[in-house]
Amino acid sequence: MEQEKKLTEQESLHLITMMINKAKESYHDTGIGAIMWGAVIAICSLVRLSEVQFDYKLPFDIYLLTLVAIIPQIFISIKEKKERKVKSYDDAYMDYLWLGFGISIFLLIHISNNIFGEWGSWANEYRNITGKPVIFRFSEYVAPLFLMLYGMPTFVTGAACKFKPMLWGGIFCWICCIIAIYTSIKIDLLLTAASAILAWLVPGIIMEKEYRSYKKEQAQLNV
Amino acid sequence: MFKELDPILHSQLRLAVMSLLISVKEAEFTFLKEKTNATAGNLSVQIQKLKEAGYIEIIKQFKDNYPQTICKITSFGVNAFEEYVKNLQSYLTNHK
Repeated sequence: MEQEKKLTEQESLHLITMMINKAKESYHDTGIGAIMWGAVIAICSLVRLSEVQFDYKLPFDIYLLTLVAIIPQIFISIKEKKERKVKSYDDAYMDYLWLGFGISIFLLIHISNNIFGEWGSWANEYRNITGKPVIFRFSEYVAPLFLMLYGMPTFVTGAACKFKPMLWGGIFCWICCIIAIYTSIKIDLLLTAASAILAWLVPGIIMEKEYRSYKKEQAQLNV
Repeated sequence: MFKELDPILHSQLRLAVMSLLISVKEAEFTFLKEKTNATAGNLSVQIQKLKEAGYIEIIKQFKDNYPQTICKITSFGVNAFEEYVKNLQSYLTNHK
């Protein structure tokens, strides 16, 4: 591009539009984080489902895998930030949105564990006094709460980044949330796994493919 | 009446740089070079002119032991760019 070339008004307008579009095209998420979290949540839900279905128990809580996954996530985030040559205005909002989501998830785990503990002792007492079984199962209402939370940042990210697979993934989480209110714990776990796959794993794979082809294009342009 | 277009912005490379920077929070020098297809020398001169006009801010730092130049549009630059686009549009409307 020549530095001092004078432009006609039409050329100026065309150049502005072209450059704004070029800037927009340069935001490409690697999708690795979404792939990892989609896979982790789906694995956790399916393993828990197999524990319930085949009546066995692993020596550890499978959901601890979500805590372990935080470590690679930190490395992924640092690496992606280092590689990024441009910072968009949306970057900071997205970071806060997903950080807020993470904090909300851990708060919800803490809240539900507390309710579960209290509810368990109350249910035991009820059973001992009345001799009747407790019909209400608190555990069957935990999945809809998580699915409701899963849908929120996924939907917002999909809408803000104009990335339809994630937008639909967020909506799918909310549909599963409604269904999970009326289904057994086994179906709840299946719905959670399906949500994780459709909201994060699949969009993550699409993002990763797009990122690869963008990188390839850039490499060809620089030859 | 049609206002004169800002001479600082009415130049191909400077306008390209400003159009890129208006869309992002900040960008590395290498990003601007890649998107404008300009040579490093040309680009350096033009971003310096934009800096002198107060339209952009240039931050020089080190990243992994390598020098890194980051460019950021200032609020003054945003106003100048908006004014430029407004004048451009009014010119094009009046000359249709």
